[in-house]
Amino acid sequence: MRIEKRKIEKITYEEIGFPLSLLEISGMPKELYYYGDLSICRKPCAAIVGSRKSTTYGKWAASELAGCAADAGITVVSGMAWGIDSAAHRGALEREGKTVAVLGGGVDVCYPARNRQLYEEIAEHGLLLSEQPPGQRPLPGMFPARNRIISGLCSLVAVVEAGLNSGSLITADFALKQNKEVCAVPGNINCISSFGTNKLIQDGAVPIIVPADLPRLMGLKDVYTVGRMAEKKERAKDCLGADEKTVLAVLSDGKEKTMDELCQRTGISAGHMSAVVTVLEMKGFVCTDLGKIYIAN
Amino acid sequence: MYAKIFSGSLFGLEGEIIKVETDIAPGMPVFNVVGLPDTAVKEARERIRAALINSGCRFPMRRITVNLSPADTRKEGTYFDLPIALGLLAAEGDLILAPSMMEGCAFIGELSLEGDLVSVRGALPLAIALREKGIRRLVLPKDNLEEVQILEDMKFYPISDLKEIVAVLEDRKSVIPWVTGAKNHIGRTCAVSVPELDFSQVRGQERAKRALQISAAGGHSLLLIGPPGAGKTMLARRLPGILPPMNYEEILEVTKIYSAAGELPGNRGVIAQRPFRAPHHTISAAALAGGGAKPKPGEISLAHGGVLFLDEIPEFGRRSLEVLRQPLEEKQITISRTSGTAAFPSDFLLIAACNPCPCGFYGDGTERCQCSAGQIHSYMAKLSGPLMDRIDMHIELSRIGWEELNPACETEDMSLDSKTLREAVCAARELQKRRYRDTGISCNAQLQQNAVNRYCQITAEAGTLMRNAFARLPLSARSCKKILLLARTIADLEGSEKIQAEQIAEAIQYRNLDRIRF
Repeated sequence: MRIEKRKIEKITYEEIGFPLSLLEISGMPKELYYYGDLSICRKPCAAIVGSRKSTTYGKWAASELAGCAADAGITVVSGMAWGIDSAAHRGALEREGKTVAVLGGGVDVCYPARNRQLYEEIAEHGLLLSEQPPGQRPLPGMFPARNRIISGLCSLVAVVEAGLNSGSLITADFALKQNKEVCAVPGNINCISSFGTNKLIQDGAVPIIVPADLPRLMGLKDVYTVGRMAEKKERAKDCLGADEKTVLAVLSDGKEKTMDELCQRTGISAGHMSAVVTVLEMKGFVCTDLGKIYIAN
Repeated sequence: MYAKIFSGSLFGLEGEIIKVETDIAPGMPVFNVVGLPDTAVKEARERIRAALINSGCRFPMRRITVNLSPADTRKEGTYFDLPIALGLLAAEGDLILAPSMMEGCAFIGELSLEGDLVSVRGALPLAIALREKGIRRLVLPKDNLEEVQILEDMKFYPISDLKEIVAVLEDRKSVIPWVTGAKNHIGRTCAVSVPELDFSQVRGQERAKRALQISAAGGHSLLLIGPPGAGKTMLARRLPGILPPMNYEEILEVTKIYSAAGELPGNRGVIAQRPFRAPHHTISAAALAGGGAKPKPGEISLAHGGVLFLDEIPEFGRRSLEVLRQPLEEKQITISRTSGTAAFPSDFLLIAACNPCPCGFYGDGTERCQCSAGQIHSYMAKLSGPLMDRIDMHIELSRIGWEELNPACETEDMSLDSKTLREAVCAARELQKRRYRDTGISCNAQLQQNAVNRYCQITAEAGTLMRNAFARLPLSARSCKKILLLARTIADLEGSEKIQAEQIAEAIQYRNLDRIRF
């Protein structure tokens, strides 16, 4: 599905329909180009941003936060960059929520190119937004500028994973200047990819310790409460086999483990363990990535 | 005067009988070798002259013509030194060659200047070819005896120098000590099985051991992804040890190839262990697949019957990987030259290894990864390509922590050793041999699409699981057949006729690269 050029709309700050939140930020964009449904910016918006080089944990956290936001009717805003941004967009789309991708270049330029599939999904179900005219290739200087739009649209910015020099810290900066709520997802202190986010918390950002914190900090309740999802999971747990329950118990401390570790802790043979993990994955209890298995919450 | 002696020459792995004709006539002293000899053969003249004189024989200073018949094929190699030298003596009248001796008998060997017989490359394939053409007795250098004496229906006379054979031929009453070839000579010549490579030496990595066992049992190619130090090479080296032991035909095949390549250990003996070849990624396409002006087997043929280990596979040149595709499919490689076509077998088990990213430490708990997201992605993207598509299994390895390495810390020793793993592999391979008896394939990995339905019967429960898996997990349709074949091998390892749901569930975990990652 290609982006049809004629469907790219333009709106200036004087026209009705221009996102009100953007009128209040300093250095506001004079005109916007968009593809999709602009009205989703009127719903409560939260930005979920982070580093391009993310870990398994970061991708999971971004996806979960976005899914939670979607359940609560919050629009998820991000930059469609590789890593955390993509995970956030996907998390929202999977739970049939609304998502806005604010791009560095024109809305018809898919950057990064390998995100083509995600780009088309957002075009179809969400909103592509940009300050740059169609056809403009994204240049390095445009990204910090676009970050101010991301934070400008939202009432809350959540940084999921950031190293020392991540661009997402610039977004957090803008959010502070624009008087928006800044939150961060903490990480292990021996993990370089969580250093930026942990520092944000040290400097006063609100830590997010469960996904439901996000809608709560925005003053909304997670509509499909944690309760309901948990109920469904509990009922599903009853139809798990003995081995599956054992493995799940070992994973319940939340840390990711390799299959060999699971074999050692449970005494289940390697072959049988593979089968158990597949079944748990299919039932939605665990996720796997790069040989690590962790509990899906 | 005229003399005729049989010899042989090798092209690739095929050989033919060469008639060495010698004619000595009066005239200006000249020594001509005709019949399209190559440089090494032409240089034989110098070696023969010195060898004859140093052995106390007369070198005829007359007009000598040696013809290597048939005269229209290129003659290569140093096989002809011995027959030409003997032919000279016979044509000069110094030696009488009794027809009873020469009938069905061939002579091969290189001569040193002193008159000693030097071993030749490719003695075994040459002997096999000569046997097919009716030669029943072979006189050859002593050092070549070990490799040829496993051939039945042939007698060999190993000699160490020219003086010896001349003395024997002169004294027609002497009894030649023929060595009869027999299969059971293998026990005497081959190295004892290598006990220092055993899976019990690898701590942890049970999942990898299981995957290697499945690979060995069904002939499935395998990709190991992990950081440096995870043990990828260590594991791959132990794989030949859990394959079924080679039978006589396989030993013959592999020794033939090594003999033709000049790679027999210490230039003698028989290869009775499954080979393990691990070429460096800077290898050229020709060295990998085989080639050279005189076709020589490449790494893929030297891995025939064993394991080819390609470490750091993204670093291999695109061209080198390209030349692998056909041999992987057809189990042999054909090398064409103007002088002829040589076919070398190449039926090996492919194990590849790579890091998860350029620096190697992406996803590793402790080290920090230095690569940018773009670098990681393009590194993994190199893994998609026609060769990667053919790799049946992928697993990820992690580095072992200190607790696992220290044996004192082990609560329960789950380490399987090679013997246990091999027994199950042999049983599974037997099952497959019976199942595919008249179909031309030997293991599950070779099953073609149209035969999958017949041989991979699944239970109803397995079918449900398969459908659910494709709905819930991001698997591609192409991996369906591969998962079925892996499940078929797992079922064989467990002795079940129909494929169970659990076996499909396990097989799915060996196709992790199919999942869409971002």
